[in-house]
Amino acid sequence: MGFLRRVAGVSLRDRMPGLLSSPVCLTVICFLSWSLRPSCAQIRTDEVSGVQYGRLESNVTLTCGKSQIRIPVVWHLNHSSVLPWHKVTSDGTLVLLHVDHSAQGNYSCYDNRGLLLHSVKLRLGHPPGLLSISCKVPNHTHVRCSWVDSVKTFLPAKYNASFRGTGQEWRPCVVDVARKHCDVDHPAFWQTIHTLRISETNALGSETTSVRFKLHELLKPDPPESVLVNELEGYPKRLIVSWNFPSSWPLHDAFPLMFQIRYRPYGSIYWSEVYAEESPVVIFDALAGYLHQVQLRARDEVNSESQWSEWSPLLLARPWEVSSTSESPEPLQPDYFLTFNTKPETSTAVTHPRDRHEDEGNLGLVILLVLFSVVILTTVLSLIFVVWVRQRRRDHVTKQELTAMVKMKSMPI
Amino acid sequence: MILTLKLLRIPLPMLLDSSSSLLFSLLLAQLPVFTSASPVPQRRPTDMDKLSNQTKNLMKLTQELLREHAFDSDVEPHRFRSLPEMSNRSANDLNNLELKPTLSQLHADLKLYEHHFEWLNKVSKKHHHPALPKLVEMIREMKSLINLLHRQMLRVEAPRLTQATPSLPPHLPYQFDVLQSSHELLQHFKLFCDWAYRAFISLKPKVSAVQ
Repeated sequence: MGFLRRVAGVSLRDRMPGLLSSPVCLTVICFLSWSLRPSCAQIRTDEVSGVQYGRLESNVTLTCGKSQIRIPVVWHLNHSSVLPWHKVTSDGTLVLLHVDHSAQGNYSCYDNRGLLLHSVKLRLGHPPGLLSISCKVPNHTHVRCSWVDSVKTFLPAKYNASFRGTGQEWRPCVVDVARKHCDVDHPAFWQTIHTLRISETNALGSETTSVRFKLHELLKPDPPESVLVNELEGYPKRLIVSWNFPSSWPLHDAFPLMFQIRYRPYGSIYWSEVYAEESPVVIFDALAGYLHQVQLRARDEVNSESQWSEWSPLLLARPWEVSSTSESPEPLQPDYFLTFNTKPETSTAVTHPRDRHEDEGNLGLVILLVLFSVVILTTVLSLIFVVWVRQRRRDHVTKQELTAMVKMKSMPI
Repeated sequence: MILTLKLLRIPLPMLLDSSSSLLFSLLLAQLPVFTSASPVPQRRPTDMDKLSNQTKNLMKLTQELLREHAFDSDVEPHRFRSLPEMSNRSANDLNNLELKPTLSQLHADLKLYEHHFEWLNKVSKKHHHPALPKLVEMIREMKSLINLLHRQMLRVEAPRLTQATPSLPPHLPYQFDVLQSSHELLQHFKLFCDWAYRAFISLKPKVSAVQ
């Protein structure tokens, strides 16, 4: 540094003798020289020529630069002369024995005059191992595969992932290193088997993991959204459940979903179930006056080998109750399924959104049945009457014929 | 006198007979009216409904066969090189299906599967494969679906594609080969049915627009 200062001073003095002779300028130069000196020294003392990687629980060799001069050297770890278990060879190479994490840090070697010869940062870890990969298929257009290291490497890694269906070309699976997952959009879904290949590479090596899976079996929609459970005014044993398709599911005729709704009075261990393809659904057999737990889940309606979604969060709702202030109004129509189903996991009839229309329809059906019964009864009675009249006539005729015959017999020939 | 009476009396039982017959006829005439009467008007299934239902039925049969004769193998043997190509069909395609080309393609694909399954039926007979009765049922259902689809194609004037020649394995010496082949065919066909079903339900509004 002194040399640098001297060179700078000489050159400047030669060029601008007048300027440098001024005391202000000398002060500035002196200040600059002073301020530069420690920073240069810092660079030299803390100078790290690079990063060296080593395997944990193995011996790691650190060379004191490229110099082959056999001079005695002194090694420091993070400016301290305390080193982990080691030996220094005659050429000044430091061999760290059976290293653990405590051996990581900045290593510097100095000559016998205390001059820094070389410095290196040591990072320890393991080469990559096989990955544990799992894939999620929330719809027919997207696959997300995430992974977990089977070996904790302690080292930064790069991932390269590719994906293909049977007999297809490899295509990239777009990697998010931080979240350790990759995404494939618009896969060729209707293929029997798909393969994902992920290569993990770090400073100590590389490992490729391949997994084969069936997308149609992994298909698992997200839970239904915006689930609402409400009372139905005038119906003390009904609840109406409505929901939306999961936002990740395509809203298209080609992708119908099946929904399973389950409900139970709060505190009961037995669920009742209803299946439906459309929202909303009316629960007909709620327990009057009781708070109910309701939740639902979805599955692809076409592919029965696909998986049910997770259940939506539990919702609490109470059927409509007669207000204590008002007079108790009669229900508009009698409730069906009056008794609460206590069988575990039983299915009740699938209900449809056209509930009110059905009620009207049911009334119509009852009227039709009554009319039909009346017609049948009338017909039967008429038939009986006709048969009776015929029989009577026949008897009468027989009687008359007999009388005629008797009369004819009694007539003289 | 008596004769006259008899003559006069004849029409009365006849009248009675005819009235009872009339009542019976009326009752019988009412029966279908009452039986068909329903508060919710039932929509007659369209041919596209029939196509989708039959495809679903075939898919169910395929799944049953796969379940009953489980052959747990992830190794794809690739015995069949001429099965309909599914790698170029994505979920997005289902949003933009064209009626006539899709019906024609599905018909050609089904014909190709029919050839493969008939071949499988033949080799299964030789090896007395236990799945034979169900396989026969499946082929029957497949033929019925093909006929139904062909009728629909004629209706919308969809062209019939020229049939590709299937390349079938020449010889299956072992029962294991038959099992493996049947597993591969069924796996492919199940996914084909899944796609075909979705295609049919997507095309339903388009058929109504054409007709």
